[in-house]
Amino acid sequence: MMNETMKMIKTSRVKRKRRFIMMTFLMAIISLVLCGLMLMLGNTIYPVQDVIKVLLGEQVKGATFAVNTIRFPRMVAGLFAGFAFGAGGYIFQTMLRNPLANPNVIGITTGSSAAAVFCIIVLNASNAVVSIAAVMGGLATAIFIYLLAKGTSFSIGRLILIGIGIQAMLTAFINYLMLIGDTHDIPAAMRWLSGSLNGAKLANLYPLILIVCICTPILMYFAKRLEMLELGEQAATSLGVNTNQTRVILIITSVLMIALATAATGPIAFISFLAGPIAKKLVGVGFSGLIPAGLIGVILVLAADLIGQFAFETRYPVGVITGIIGAPYLIYLLIRINRKGDL
Amino acid sequence: MKSTHTFQTENLVAGYDNKAILQGVSLAIPSNKISIIIGSNGCGKSTLLKTMARLIKPISGQVLLDDKSINKIPPKQLARVLGLLPQSPVVPEGITVADLVGRGRFPHQSFLKGWSTEDYEAVAEAMEMMNITELADSHIDELSGGQRQRVWIAMALAQQTDILFLDEPTTYLDITYQVEILDLLTDLNRKHGTTIVMVLHDINLSARYADYIFALHKGLLVSEGTPANVITSELIKDIFNLNCVVTQDPVSDSPSVVPIGRHHSKSGMLV
Repeated sequence: MMNETMKMIKTSRVKRKRRFIMMTFLMAIISLVLCGLMLMLGNTIYPVQDVIKVLLGEQVKGATFAVNTIRFPRMVAGLFAGFAFGAGGYIFQTMLRNPLANPNVIGITTGSSAAAVFCIIVLNASNAVVSIAAVMGGLATAIFIYLLAKGTSFSIGRLILIGIGIQAMLTAFINYLMLIGDTHDIPAAMRWLSGSLNGAKLANLYPLILIVCICTPILMYFAKRLEMLELGEQAATSLGVNTNQTRVILIITSVLMIALATAATGPIAFISFLAGPIAKKLVGVGFSGLIPAGLIGVILVLAADLIGQFAFETRYPVGVITGIIGAPYLIYLLIRINRKGDL
Repeated sequence: MKSTHTFQTENLVAGYDNKAILQGVSLAIPSNKISIIIGSNGCGKSTLLKTMARLIKPISGQVLLDDKSINKIPPKQLARVLGLLPQSPVVPEGITVADLVGRGRFPHQSFLKGWSTEDYEAVAEAMEMMNITELADSHIDELSGGQRQRVWIAMALAQQTDILFLDEPTTYLDITYQVEILDLLTDLNRKHGTTIVMVLHDINLSARYADYIFALHKGLLVSEGTPANVITSELIKDIFNLNCVVTQDPVSDSPSVVPIGRHHSKSGMLV
């Protein structure tokens, strides 16, 4: 009897695990293919063998310049920012048990943007200062929203509403800055509004790459504790999770990733919002969706950038495309939640 | 059989936001027995349970497991000895019954390792004990209240602790399921010797199922002992402000409280 039960539980768990691994693997392959396309496609299309030669350090007439200075940095920016947005968004959504509670909707990315635009337009600051300001802006917004939501007793619904309010205020502030700003600062500031991979330079991407490489293993380690946190404060504590410590570490690492990604590419709309739910749908429940969410983030960013570059007469920045995909989902979610009656 | 532990509180003062609800409670939980904490709303019974399960940090006083303060025991290690089923745990979206029960294995698992044979064994045993094996692949949202509560208890069982706390495990359940849950917990205590401590609202069920009763009133422990010694009409008058007759439960011979209201009382009854 006991053995039968064990076998049954094991069979179904192994089956689900196989699906999880298969889907994650598939996502990795698609990400890789998109990375390849990012290098091959452009004004001139280079065949795979040319791209590989360039990556191996050989000189290929024309291709070397285009791939090394334009396409490769663009691809790396999309890859790491996509992963950071996807994984960071997933952590927020899971920790706060609500898909609306992601850095994009509750204004953390807008906090980064506002700080960056302020530095560009008012302080005429250098790129490095702008990036640091973006990170500080994101962290400060996260802390501010958390403190306001804490009140006498912490409520996730209140946190989301406060976040949406803060986001609106920060957007108004950015708009005001754009109006008073010098005309020649506006293009630089624009990037902070919709997010774009244009003009990505490797030198500016190192902080993001470093943080993603450091934070991802930390988040993987805490992924199991995050699962326990999903059961509520009390159940998690009695299962031996130090809930406050876990929450603080999860928030700091994911805000760092999101803020640095925003500093590198601007707030690419809705990635941190869409990646988690899509990944969960694909890999199923029971296993941590952290890596799948990161991969979906990569796929969304790279695919949207390719669409933005080549699908239309005019070239659109990636944020415009993801905005078009993400907005209807936000509305759908709001309608569904409204029907269920709880935020 | 589960091992024997000493579990005590010393002059426990605790509450929320520094407002003390417990006003200094010292007690010792009898090992390998079923203890039930009773008292009126707001008397601090839930606060006591939560403080003993380290969900609330005491303002003063301490909780001792085997003479060691529970705040000094590493959380995961403590979670292998002491488990708590909260009153309203949260169901993660889309999770299956077997996976939820499996989360009880967290204190026994290490980083990156999948489920071990012991994990599968513990989950299977807990599910069989709670009669939910046929629900293994169902989603929690498809279950009835009684089934759901059995799943949560199974999760706590999979944790395989020697001591199990339950915060009102029968609230919101029909009487049928209340009895079922209490029977299953008694099975657990008799079969494995698990020390069970719970908060219950129903005094008569408490009197029937408890080996030992703690009665709380206004944050203080006012009486403790076997149900037969504790449940008296005086105590019920004191802590619930209710006139009653205490008779014998015809089924179990445990004390049974019959309340006296302003209506429907035979002449001569006290009002």
